[in-house]
Order: sequence, then C-alpha cells, then structure tokens
Amino acid sequence: MNFITITRWEFKNTIQSRKFLLIFFLQISVLFLMLMVFNSFAQNMENNEALSITPSLSGFATLDVNDQGALFSKRLNSEVLNIENSTYQQAWNRLARGLTTGFYSVPPESVELVQNGDQVETVLYLDYRDPKRSVVQEEVNSTTRALSSALTTSYLESSRPQNATKPPGVTQTTSGESVPLQIIRKVMLAVLLFLPLFLFGNLIIDSLVGEKERKTGEILVAMPLTSADIIIGKSLAVVMIMALQVGMWMLILLAAGFSLKNPGFVYLMVVLTAIPLVGLTTIIAAYSKNYKEAGIGLTFAYVIISGILIIPLLGYISRQSFGANVSPMTLVMRIFSGEIIAPAEILLSLSFIVVFSLLSYGISVALFRRDDVVFGPRPGILRIILDLMGLKRHKNRSK
Amino acid sequence: MNLTALIKKEAQDILENKIFLLVVVVQLFIILGTFGLAISTAMVNDPAVIDSYGVNSAFKVGLSKDLEQSALADDLESQKLELEYFNTTQEANKFLGTELVAVIGISSQGEVQVELDTSNVFYPVASTKISKAVDSFQLQRSLQSSGLNSEQINAIKEPVKLKIVKLEEDNAVNIAMDSSYFVEVMYGFIVPFILLLPFFLASNLVTDSIVGERERKTFEVLLMTPLSSSMVVIGKIIPVLSFSLIQSLAWILLLDLLQVPIFNTVLLMLILLSLGLGFIGVGILISILVDSTKEANSAITLVLVFATFILFVPLFIKSDIFQALFNFIPTVLMVKIASSPAINPEILFYLLPTILISILIFMVTVRSFRHERAIRL
Repeated sequence: MNFITITRWEFKNTIQSRKFLLIFFLQISVLFLMLMVFNSFAQNMENNEALSITPSLSGFATLDVNDQGALFSKRLNSEVLNIENSTYQQAWNRLARGLTTGFYSVPPESVELVQNGDQVETVLYLDYRDPKRSVVQEEVNSTTRALSSALTTSYLESSRPQNATKPPGVTQTTSGESVPLQIIRKVMLAVLLFLPLFLFGNLIIDSLVGEKERKTGEILVAMPLTSADIIIGKSLAVVMIMALQVGMWMLILLAAGFSLKNPGFVYLMVVLTAIPLVGLTTIIAAYSKNYKEAGIGLTFAYVIISGILIIPLLGYISRQSFGANVSPMTLVMRIFSGEIIAPAEILLSLSFIVVFSLLSYGISVALFRRDDVVFGPRPGILRIILDLMGLKRHKNRSK
Repeated sequence: MNLTALIKKEAQDILENKIFLLVVVVQLFIILGTFGLAISTAMVNDPAVIDSYGVNSAFKVGLSKDLEQSALADDLESQKLELEYFNTTQEANKFLGTELVAVIGISSQGEVQVELDTSNVFYPVASTKISKAVDSFQLQRSLQSSGLNSEQINAIKEPVKLKIVKLEEDNAVNIAMDSSYFVEVMYGFIVPFILLLPFFLASNLVTDSIVGERERKTFEVLLMTPLSSSMVVIGKIIPVLSFSLIQSLAWILLLDLLQVPIFNTVLLMLILLSLGLGFIGVGILISILVDSTKEANSAITLVLVFATFILFVPLFIKSDIFQALFNFIPTVLMVKIASSPAINPEILFYLLPTILISILIFMVTVRSFRHERAIRL
C-alpha cells in the first residue's frame, strides 16, 4: 500500500521538525492557561463568587445618594455602583454636568419612619442622557424591594398575636445544571477537545501547497503513486498527528480533574471527526495556488465547520433534539457527560462523518488528478463544479 | 524615496492585501455576531425585556388541577407565566425539563413546593418571575392570617416606595435595549473588545511588512534609500496605525448605528493610539528577532494570547486586593470612558501608565531598529 509510505514519510518529517515540536508544546501551554481560566470560572459560578459570565466592573455607574440614616445607601451594590454621598444641591450640580448617572434621595427622617412603621418615600432621579441608567435603576429597584420585603416580614412578626400560627413556608428544589454552567463545563470542554483538529489544519496546507510552492509537485506526481495515494497518505499523517495531540490534551484534562466519562469512546469520536475535517482542508489545499489563498480559504471553511459543530451542540443544550446529534461534538459532549445514547443517535453522527469523508476525499483526489489544478493554468471554481458533476468532460491524469 | 512615498507604498500594500480585507470583513461579522449575542442573552436574563417581546410560551409552569383559579395561579399569571394543569404534581413532574420549566404545588400542610429546572435556557427569568409570584402569594397569606385591619395591611404591604423621575428625557440617548444586562455586557466587554480588534491585527500587519521585505530580499534596497532607519520604521508604522485607528472609528460609527452610543471618542482614540504604539512596537521587536513570516506569526499569536489575558480578564474579576491595579488597565478605562457622557478629569491620571509604557515600548523598538545589526539581513 503506497499511501502508507507517504504517511510514514510525512509523519516522520513533521515529528522531527523542531518548529513543529515548539508549536506542539506551545499549544499545550496555552491549554494550561485556558484550563486555569475555565476551572476558576466554573468553580466561582458554582460558589456564586468572584468571576461571572457577565463583566463585573467595579464602579461601572456612579450614583449620588442623599441618605442621612444610611439605611439604604449601605445596602446598595457597591460592586457595580460608585456611590457618592452628596447633598441635594451637590447631586443636582453633578447631574447637570453629567458626572453621575442618577441621584437617590431618601428622606432624612427615614430611620424614624421605619421605627414608627410608616412608609418611606424615596426618589430616584435618572439622567436619561446616560446609557447606564438601566443599571442604576435595576440596582436601586432591587435594593428597595429587598429592604421593603425585609421590613414587611419584620412588621408582620412584631404585629402577629402571640397565639397566631405562622403561615406555612416555601420549599424550592432544583434539578438539572444551569445553562451558563453547562456552557462552561460541557461546551467549553467539548471545544477544547476539538481544538487540536483546527490547530493542525495548516499542516496539510504546508504539505500540499508547499509542494506547489517549492515546485516539487511534479516529482511527486511522476512517482509510482496514484493521486489517491498522495492525498490519503498525506491526510493520514495529519490525522495521526491530530490523534497524538488529542490524546495529550485528554491526558492533561483528566489530570487537571475534568470529568471525562468513557474516555476511549470520546477519543475515538474526536479522532474520527478529524478525518472529514482534514478532507475538507485537503480540498482547499489541492485547489489553492499559494499559502495566502489557502489561508483565506481555510479561515472561511473553519468558521463554517465550527458553526456546523457548535450550533447543534448549543441547540442540544436548549432543546434535547435528536437532530442535534448530527454534530459529532454534540455526541462527544453527551459521551463524556455519561448520558445514555441511543444507537440511532450514534449512527446519525457516524453517518455525518462517513458522508463528509467520502465527499471531501473524493473531491480532493479528483482535484489533485487534474494537471490544470495542480500546475496551472487553474480553471475557475464554477468550471470545476460542472466537471465534478459530470456536466463537462475533462481529461484527468491516468493515475 | 522620501517618507511620504514610503507611507503611500505601505498603505497601498495593505489595501491590496486580500487577507487584510478579509479580516476587516470578518471583524464586521464578529461585531454583528457579538451584538446579536448580547441582545439574545439579555432577552433570556431580563424579565422586563421578555415581557416587552411577549414571549410567554417559553415559561410553562405545571400546576395540579386543584390550584385552578386559586390565588397562587392568579399571582403566577400576573407574572405572565403560562400555566398548564395536571391531575397531580407527580404527573406534572414527568414533563419537568422538557415541556415545563417548573412545577408548583401546595402540600397538605399548606407549604408551597416549587421545583425548578435549571437547565432551561430561560431559567433566570422563569426563576425571578416565579419567586415574585410566590412571594406575593405568601405575603397575602401572611397578611390575611395576621389579624391586622386594612389600613395597617396597606402600610405593611409597601413600607418603602420608590418613585423614578426621568431627567433630560428630550435629550435621552437611544439604546438598542434598555436593559441593565445588555448595557453591562455591551459596554463592560464587547465595546473594548471590538475597538481593540484592529490593533490585534496591526501587530500582524507590521511583522508581515518587515519580515516580508526581508523574505523578498527588498529590505536591503529600502535601507539604501536616503531615509534614516527611524524614518523607515515610522514610514512603516504610520499606515498600519492609521488604518487601525480608522477601523476603530468605523466600528464606533457602526455601534452608534446599532444604538450603542460611544462617548468621548477623542479620549478613546488617545488610548487606542497608545495601545496601538505598544502593539506595533512589540510587532517590530518580534520582526527584528525572527527569521520568517511563519515564525513571526507564531510569536505574535503567543503575545496576543497573553495581551488578551491581561486586558480582558480584569473585566471579569472582582478583587479587593487588585482593584487599585485594575483601575490602570486600559480596557477598564475604556469601559468607563465609552459609557459616560461626561468623565471625571482624574481618569487622565489613570491613563498615564498606559501612555508612558506604550511610548517606552515604541522608543525601545525604534532604537533597536536603528541598530542595523539587529535587522539581521
């Protein structure tokens, strides 16, 4: 089998390249950095502390407060609001100059009013020229609501007759994992597992476009190898390198304490997904004249492929539909989460891989067999599509 | 060749660079994508926004038939929740996580039992609405059993009143979504991210320009022209920096069109100019040290990963210890400047380190570049 020779040759050359090794380990160091961030995100979201999925800027909006009793001002969220204690006049001047988003005015006798069980009327002046008005309104609203509710409870407790029975309370139970936590824990982990597949796409570009740029393509074509041998041989070497990196990443993830159930099955599915992905990259490499063109094509193709993989996955998180399993990333996420998966769902994902693989390698080989595509003058994309569909006849190389 | 000619030539090279044009288009997609994402996440997090769009079908709550037309059902309906009745709560529980976001029942002892599915996309909104409804129901029950008269009940019901006075409504800024979540996400992360995108690209462009000249063997010719080394480096920097600033300015206009008004453009441009000098300076330093475009790209990617970490992680961290330091981070300053119609002059003090460090990096770069041996022809 001739393609094995090509695979061995390409694999050995890549592994022996110092620059490749540098990139290989650089990627691993980036993975460590990402793991640190994801871990702290997930941990703090679970504990509801420090890091959140929304920005948490200290003093994002400024609010002037006139609250002599400090009953309200000390309960306002100082993590989001920059609270300035001002007199009515000072606050008004600052509002006019646009230096504050709002002014919260609490009656000076608020403490006495509360002690007497009377209503406290507060006023929030909001500057509508400031886009942060909704942030201030939300914060003040939630503070007054919380304080109001606490006061109501306290008044009720004190006014309840001694012999009166307390009304039954509320119990709340939750099931399932929250969406942000699922995104951090499952989606991000799935993305991390598939990342090496996208990072090594340039290897096949290097391997095929490099032959064109170095003018060594002619020698390769003249060798006793078929176009299929060359394409499959080179692609297999890249798939093997991806398999190596995926294996390393999985070991690191497991060592870092990530929960990956059925690791063997997960590994197999990720590596199988590498096959059509490399196939698609090979189409771009076979058609491109130079690195620049290949780079542009690769960027577009990978944006689309990322969408094809990630969108069904997100769809599965919101609505557990059968169709979402078409993306191998969805299946991988479900496998490492330990979900029970029906054979039909596995079959759907595998069918996607097989169909995409056959199609992509078929097109790549057909392109590589054409002298005009490999050596020029290169025909347009439309012409090639018509040729591939058999609507136009083109004479290929015999092998 | 004079400096203007070099600048013209470099500008033309950039404009004819297909990858540059592609990246500009990609940035446009990123902006529209992140904007859309902010809108949709605000929708699933903000009950007021959801109500304004009338998306009630996403909040189906299961109740047992005996609660039909009860006070609890009324409270839940007043929160615009769609109610579905089952013979028992056990029966309703079977649909929790698929058709239902929550199941609510009242036990034989009168206890309100709420079971919520946190995996639902709309869980934050559903949870808020259900809490409000249950709180209102509980309050009514407590008031009824307290033995108080109606006047006392009214005083207890709302001990704190909040009146909101809208100022300058005629000059109000139009915002795509007047929701606190949207405003925080947009100004707190997306705006600095979008405005910095062109500068991430700038360091790549400058390395491509310098290392590319060396690879094409045209750098010797450039150095033989009657231009000093400093002029050569400035001639290469000005077009890259100008294109980046123009792009950022265009993104500011686009954000304005999308109804995300950006304030203090001049000051923002000053920060971006400083950061641009820093990014481009690092790009030139890398160009001096590497042998090929491939090597330069790898090194730039690594530098950008670390720059992203330093610039954006402080936006998501609450830390009392590091807060004083975070105030000097350029992205933190950009958030405050871009979202405030008027700014406190003391912010200029926090800007100083960014400006000084960038100028320092730039000066070190020009000095290294002047050192002809460093170019390693």
